Amino acid sequence: MATESTEHRRLACGVELAVLPLEGRRTVAYEIRVLAGISDEPEELGGLARIVEETISKGTQQRSAQELTDAFDALGAQVSSGVGRESMVFRCSCLPEYLDHALGLHAEMLRTPIFPEEYCEVAVELAIQDLLSLEDEPGELARKLIGPHAYGPRLGRHELGCEESLRRIRREQVVDYWKHHFTARRLQISLGGAVDIDKASARIDQLFTGFDSTDDSTGNAPGTTPGRAAEFTPGAHHHHKELEQQHILICWPGVAVRDDAYPVERIALGVLGEGMSSRLFTEVREKQGLVYWVGAWDEHPRSGGRLFMGASTMPARCDQTYRTLLREVDRLEEDVTAEEIERAKISIIAKTQTHGDITRARVSELSSDLYFHGRPVSIAEKNAKLSAVTVEDVRKYLRNHPRDRLCVLTLGPRPLEGVV
Amino acid sequence: MKQMAASHFVDRTLDNGLRVIIEVMPHVQSAAAGYLVRTGARDEIPELAGVSHFLEHMCFKGTPRRDWHRITIDFDNMGSTYNAYTSKERTFYFGWVRVEDLEKQIELLADMMRSVIPAEEFEMEKKVILEEIAMSADQIDRCVYDLIHEQLYVGHPLAWPVLGTTDTISKLSRDELHGYFEDRYHPGNMILLVAGNVDPDAALAMARRHSGDWKARAPRPRRATPPTLRSGTWCRKVERFKQQAVALAFPAPSATDPDRETADVLAAILGGHNSRFFWNIIQEGIAAHVAAGRIDYCDAAMMIAFGFCDPQRADELLAAMRAEIAKLCDKGVTNDEVQRVRNRTRTGLATEAEAPYYRLMQLVNDIDALGRPRDVTERLAAIDAVTPDSIRAYLRKWPMNGEGALTSLGPRHWPEKAVLVG
Repeated sequence: MATESTEHRRLACGVELAVLPLEGRRTVAYEIRVLAGISDEPEELGGLARIVEETISKGTQQRSAQELTDAFDALGAQVSSGVGRESMVFRCSCLPEYLDHALGLHAEMLRTPIFPEEYCEVAVELAIQDLLSLEDEPGELARKLIGPHAYGPRLGRHELGCEESLRRIRREQVVDYWKHHFTARRLQISLGGAVDIDKASARIDQLFTGFDSTDDSTGNAPGTTPGRAAEFTPGAHHHHKELEQQHILICWPGVAVRDDAYPVERIALGVLGEGMSSRLFTEVREKQGLVYWVGAWDEHPRSGGRLFMGASTMPARCDQTYRTLLREVDRLEEDVTAEEIERAKISIIAKTQTHGDITRARVSELSSDLYFHGRPVSIAEKNAKLSAVTVEDVRKYLRNHPRDRLCVLTLGPRPLEGVV
Repeated sequence: MKQMAASHFVDRTLDNGLRVIIEVMPHVQSAAAGYLVRTGARDEIPELAGVSHFLEHMCFKGTPRRDWHRITIDFDNMGSTYNAYTSKERTFYFGWVRVEDLEKQIELLADMMRSVIPAEEFEMEKKVILEEIAMSADQIDRCVYDLIHEQLYVGHPLAWPVLGTTDTISKLSRDELHGYFEDRYHPGNMILLVAGNVDPDAALAMARRHSGDWKARAPRPRRATPPTLRSGTWCRKVERFKQQAVALAFPAPSATDPDRETADVLAAILGGHNSRFFWNIIQEGIAAHVAAGRIDYCDAAMMIAFGFCDPQRADELLAAMRAEIAKLCDKGVTNDEVQRVRNRTRTGLATEAEAPYYRLMQLVNDIDALGRPRDVTERLAAIDAVTPDSIRAYLRKWPMNGEGALTSLGPRHWPEKAVLVG
């Protein structure tokens, strides 16, 4: 593999930029991260951030909604966006010859949106319909329901809010959110592929110069702050719903991505739930046939981490499934093996290499680095930290972060027995 | 497209009849491999509905060299991105690894293709599959997909659900599964696909080493021709869902028909990104999820317009979809609309060419349908050949201005005239 070098700059316009040129690529990809998300909504306006993300593309001072979409399509640009707890991301992949133009369109969209009244109203209506569709997606619904318990009332909000909060949203509140949070100093841009660093930097600086807001009361670029504190509330919660299967989610606190123990946590989680040879897949599915789906994963606001286990199973078997899930976490400290740890390491490291063939995957990784670490982190550095993890490190991590406070959520026909 | 054109194919058949197709991608650092088995739900008999999919699970459960745990450990020891899927017409096992692990990956997949279908794992896996069926029953999109097939291909194996039913899976025996395996998993009915930064001679040698001694057997039984897509209106009332799924289907060109690209461009204009459905239905607030696309098989297909909506707005959604289809049939499409699809395809193909995993997934489609691989240049040329005139000609040949076949699933018995199915 050729040596790669990432350029990281704070441009004069205020944008934080990281560029990763990749030899031999025929595409370019970028992510523009706005450091404002769901938790920045006023309390009574749950769902606002997503409405902003949806409607910001519905017309600028220069173009109508359809003209803007057509302009991206004229370049063949593949664009998407998403809203998270503390940030919002606008993504693009295109052929390198169209990069300047695509960036120009994104700058126009972020700087001069007009948020037409009719599109704001439609976005609210569609979000209300999405709440309805969430009811038909039990896995996603369970994640929505556990959010406030796992993260607290602010960080744990769902992007769709609720019908009451959505109905309160008016165009002026959409505009206020944009005015307050969308400035050059709140942008992190990660760019990779067939790209020239200096040319791209100059272009981005030019596009975002003067993108300041008189309403930006926060002063510092929020990328340098540790993020909002998450509040964890242990407890068991059951939501009744007529389903064929019962959904079980179990959550407990983990560490922040910036924590020294984070690579150890990744390995521990890998042993528990990564791949078909993992503890959960082996014990819950292969040995007992309790589920089709079982998994473990982590989620990370910037201030901390949350670990999750999840499974769906027919109601008669949910108690046994629940007990098995907990038993697997508990016995990890007792009997985790060096072989399992090596496998977890290889799994993460090899996937970095295979998935690294995809330009947009590399850019997404870079964007996460800026967001969590405030700087690009080389693959070599990440791999060295993972490679150094030992059995004792994992045991120590599990001792220091016991799953003694759990948040349990079940969704389905009946509650679990004996869960406190 | 210069660098993408640097990819090339090697297509050979081993002495035992196993075809091996390799796409050499010199610009990447990974490789993907997969065994395509040309059997799926439509190749089953009704009593064994779901056997292809069950067999896919069992191939992970034991071989002459490995037990189930060793299979998964060996995948994970390579850091492979691996899985398998079963559809109406095929079963595909695959893994994506670092180039240096390609032989290990092929050896492992090949070993799984010689499954011993361990009897002691059979009943346990049956429980897993019954859970999968239960999970599927909670998903409205899967339910409506099954309903469409059940009603539109009634009496034909394309109507069977890929997972089978609780009844057929509960009754299935290990011997029946083993018999099906013996019939279908042999070199004459399988293809090994490889994509990545590989030396084709070395990859062929790997194929010979790990699959060269497999014994050829009789070809798969000939597939029954599906019936002509019928018109009608059907509804399945499922009270626990909150939305109503509405699907309108019309006959369309099959996976092997030269009109398929025209159909796909038309579907993108009607119900894809930046489409007429997007602006005139979604952005009018009628429904949040509305789209159009083609569901295709080797000898049949349907063009389908579908959406999920508030049950009380089902009439409004259907009327809006019909109005857009009528407009399309009446006025055709514009050059700009076609060009936008071409532009997006160009970027999509460039992205696809970056990753062996993406290429493998496309290769399996092309080979299963057309019998040969297509490179990105050929696929781009096929899209570039579509014009407003060819779409107009398509609509004359594959009309969409009739009643079509309407299926609905959700808490309402809607429309009232629909045949209510259990």
